[in-house]
Order: sequence, then C-alpha cells, then structure tokens
Amino acid sequence: MTGDTPFLRVENVSKTFEGDGVQHPSIHVIDNVSMDVAAGEFVVYLGPSGCGKTTLMRTVGGLETASAGAIYLGGEKVTGPDRRKGMVFQAYTSFPWFTVLENIRYGTKYRDDIGNAEKEEVSRHYLELVGLKDFADYYVNRISGGMRQRVAIARTLAASPDILLMDEPFGALDAQTREFLQNQLLEINREERKTTIFVTHDVEEAVVLADRIFMFSARPATIIEEIKVAEHITGERDIASKETEAFFYLRNHVRDLMRREARRTEELAQRELMAPEAKST
Amino acid sequence: MNIRDLFVYRGTSTSRADVVLAVCAFIGFIGFWYAVAEFEIVSQRYLPLPHRVVTALHTMLTEQNFIEDIWISVARVWGAFLLSAVMAIPVGIWMSSYRIVGTLTEPIVDFIRYLPVPALVPLLIIWFGIGESSKIAVLWMGTFFQLVLLIADDAKRVPREFIEIGFTLGAKPRQITWDIVHRSMLPKIVDNLRITLGWCWTYIIIAEIVAANAGIGHAIWSARRFVKTPEVMAGILTVGIIGLLTDQVIRLAHRRMFRYL
Repeated sequence: MTGDTPFLRVENVSKTFEGDGVQHPSIHVIDNVSMDVAAGEFVVYLGPSGCGKTTLMRTVGGLETASAGAIYLGGEKVTGPDRRKGMVFQAYTSFPWFTVLENIRYGTKYRDDIGNAEKEEVSRHYLELVGLKDFADYYVNRISGGMRQRVAIARTLAASPDILLMDEPFGALDAQTREFLQNQLLEINREERKTTIFVTHDVEEAVVLADRIFMFSARPATIIEEIKVAEHITGERDIASKETEAFFYLRNHVRDLMRREARRTEELAQRELMAPEAKST
Repeated sequence: MNIRDLFVYRGTSTSRADVVLAVCAFIGFIGFWYAVAEFEIVSQRYLPLPHRVVTALHTMLTEQNFIEDIWISVARVWGAFLLSAVMAIPVGIWMSSYRIVGTLTEPIVDFIRYLPVPALVPLLIIWFGIGESSKIAVLWMGTFFQLVLLIADDAKRVPREFIEIGFTLGAKPRQITWDIVHRSMLPKIVDNLRITLGWCWTYIIIAEIVAANAGIGHAIWSARRFVKTPEVMAGILTVGIIGLLTDQVIRLAHRRMFRYL
C-alpha cells in the first residue's frame, strides 16, 4: 500500500432500502458517512439498535451495496463479498454437519495462497488460539454458544482476511460468557493485529475493545462522535482495563450519548407506527 | 415408568413403553379382525381369517410366481423414484438459487402438482403405451413436481448467514451450492425422498391395475376377478410390508448418516 492511502476508506456512504411504494416505505438507513481506518486498528461501531451500523458494516463487507458513495479497501473499491473481508455474525453460523476442527478447516478451503499441509497447520493454530483444542472432534451442537462463536471467529481468521467484520458476535451470550470472550478477543487481537470493525450496542463492550469508537445517531445513521479510546486507555488492554479511571470516564460519556440516541430511536419508532404512510427520510 | 404419565396431557413416555404399546395395538387389531371374521359379523367371503391371508401369500409366492410380480413392481418404483430424485434435486436447488428460474418455473410446477395422477393415467397410456415407459411416466408425474417444490423450499430455508459466510470465505456460487446449500439440507433431502418413495407405491398400484400384465397391482386386480379375497389382501399386505421395511431402513440410514442432528 502507498503511504497516503488509508487501509480502509469509507467515502460519503449513504444507503436507502428501496420500498415497494405500497406496503413498505423506503428506509433511509445511512446518511453520508465517511471514515478512514488504519491497518491493525480495532474500530467499534456503536449505536442504538436498528440505527444502520450493521448495514454500514455489511456494506464494508460487500454484502450490501451503497446507494451513494464508495468503500475502498487497500485502495481498491469494494464491489462484493470475498475472502479479504471476513465476517462473524451474531447468529450461530458454525456448520452443524462439521466438527469444531472441520469447521475451522473449512475457513481455509478456498485459499489458493497456501498448500494443504499449511492449511492443516493454520487450522490447528486457530483451534488452539481460541482454546478449543480439547473439543476438536466435537460436533458443534454439543458445545455451548460461546464456544460456537469461538469456532466462528477461528474459522474466519483461518481464511486470512484483510479485515475482520464482527456483527454483535457476543450479543446472544450471557454476561459472564460475553466478558470471557471479550477478553479472549483482546488476546487474539494482541497476537494477530487484525484490522477489525466490531458492531455492538453494548457501551462497556465498545469501550473495553476499541481503539476507536464511532458513535452513530438514531436512523439514518450519521457519525455523531468519534471517541479515540486508545488515547485515553493506553497500554495492554484486558478485562482489568474495565477498572481504570479512564474507562469509567469514557463509559459514562458514551453512555450519555447512547441514552440520547436510544430515546430518539424510540420516538422515531413511535412516529412511524402512528403515521405508517409517511415515508421516513 | 408410571403408567399414569401416558395419560397426562402432553406427557412423556419411554421407548420401551412405546414398543410394548405398539405390539399391543397390533395384537389388538389382529384379535379384532379374528373376532369379526370368526363370528361372521362380516362374511368370510369378504373378510377372510388373518391366517388365511398369510397362507394365500405363501401359496402365491411358492406356486404362482408372485415373487416375480414383486420384483417387477419394486424395479418400476425404484426406477421411477431415482429418475425423479436425480432430476428434482438439482432443479429444486437451482430454482431456489436464482430468482429468474424460480419465478418462471414455480407457477407451472404448482399447477401440474395439483393434477390428480389417476386422471393422467389414460393420457400417459395414449402417449407411452402400456409398456414400462407408461408406468415410469405415471410415477414420475406423481412425484417429480411434488419433490421439486419440497427441495426448493428446503433450499430456501438454508440460513442466509451460511451462504454469506461462504462468500466471505471466498467461495463461488457453485461451491456454495455444493459445500453449503446441498450439505446443509441433506438430511431434509433424505427425509423428502423417503416420503416420495411412499407415494411411488401408491401410484404404481394404480398404474398396474389400469394396464399391466405383471406386478403386484396386476396380481391384486387378477385375484379380484375371481373374488379371491385372501389373495387380494395378501397383495395389499405385501405392499404394506415393503413400504414399512424400506421406510425403516431409510430412517436408520438417516440416523447413521446424520449423527450430528
């Protein structure tokens, strides 16, 4: 990559889901969002539910197309999904017909940059990295939700993407498991330094994980504030970072922003219910 | 286990109790049959004693070459069933993969699906004659259009996230179809094939009754002409037994193949 090209550039992206003009109105979900992300950075998209942050992340992944604007990854325009943009979803996506190891191995299946021996090595490496070595031969329906998400993360990493896109991956887990996985993700991140976009509406999760938080407004999503967490919470990040003063300060600040936007989201929802024929803009 | 549990609304049961009860029900059924026939509540001319049916079956097998009829019917059923499956599985998946294919074919398939197969038999005989091809055609008409929609529906139910994961791991549509869609719905495919095979047995009997000079349906129909009720019932029993056995074999294979379920 050349010096002044950012690793990821989101340029004036807007997105409208076209309605059918009868039952479903058009929905304007993202409004003119721009940002640059540096290689190795851990970015969190934070915003109230349904604000459009997931849609923006999916657009970065090539799973949605922007209505206006463009996304460039490594200087190249994003036109569709491929192996460079790895995804982890909130829903459990580890394949039930595979064991834990087979699932992770599947992540290497379409790689043409390495041979079979290396694929096996990579699979085993990520199996160990997510701490599932003892469960390699278990079918995924035998393991817990948290373990399934670790399988999904390992599988995505095994494909060696340039960027890791995580859509509320811990959203369906209980609080303890979630915290455990946050810690593990921080560990993985220390080893891999993978550029990551992580979508969540959990304030603490955002602050503990992020180098940088983009706080989004209620729909249509616009960036209302950029919080440079790494400038405040310096040094090694782990779950103990949650006890620092900087963390408290940032969390409280972000929580206030979230409350305001969550209230606006509710008001928006009520307005739409009361005036169904009105198209949201 | 407590017997009372069996009477609780939506209560539980054990597999042992299930087997015992199934056997009891069967014995009860046979017993009821014996009673009705023995006391001639219905004339034995119309309802022979159960063991007479078994004897008739034995005679048919040893003296009347019934085993050949069975083989012919089995061959017809499996031939048509395999033809139907081999065509319906790829077409069904294709219909679910591309909107254009689905939108163009679904209305036609839906229409043909509602045509009653027995009504098609005369037409198919005009087209294909009374040989093997008309039997295959009847069975194929009766199963292909049903199966193709079942397959298309199951393919549509493969979670969207699975497919998106495929794309983001670098798979092409063809690879997603084979590695994810087909693999994900495979247990459902086997289930649907099992059900379709059952329909084949319904249609083969109809086809063989209308026009055939061999096969279980033909044997049943010939016996009817001389009011050989035990032989008619033996023929029906044969179809039932073959159906039950294949169904159980496929269920067992299903359990073996898909241990992860």
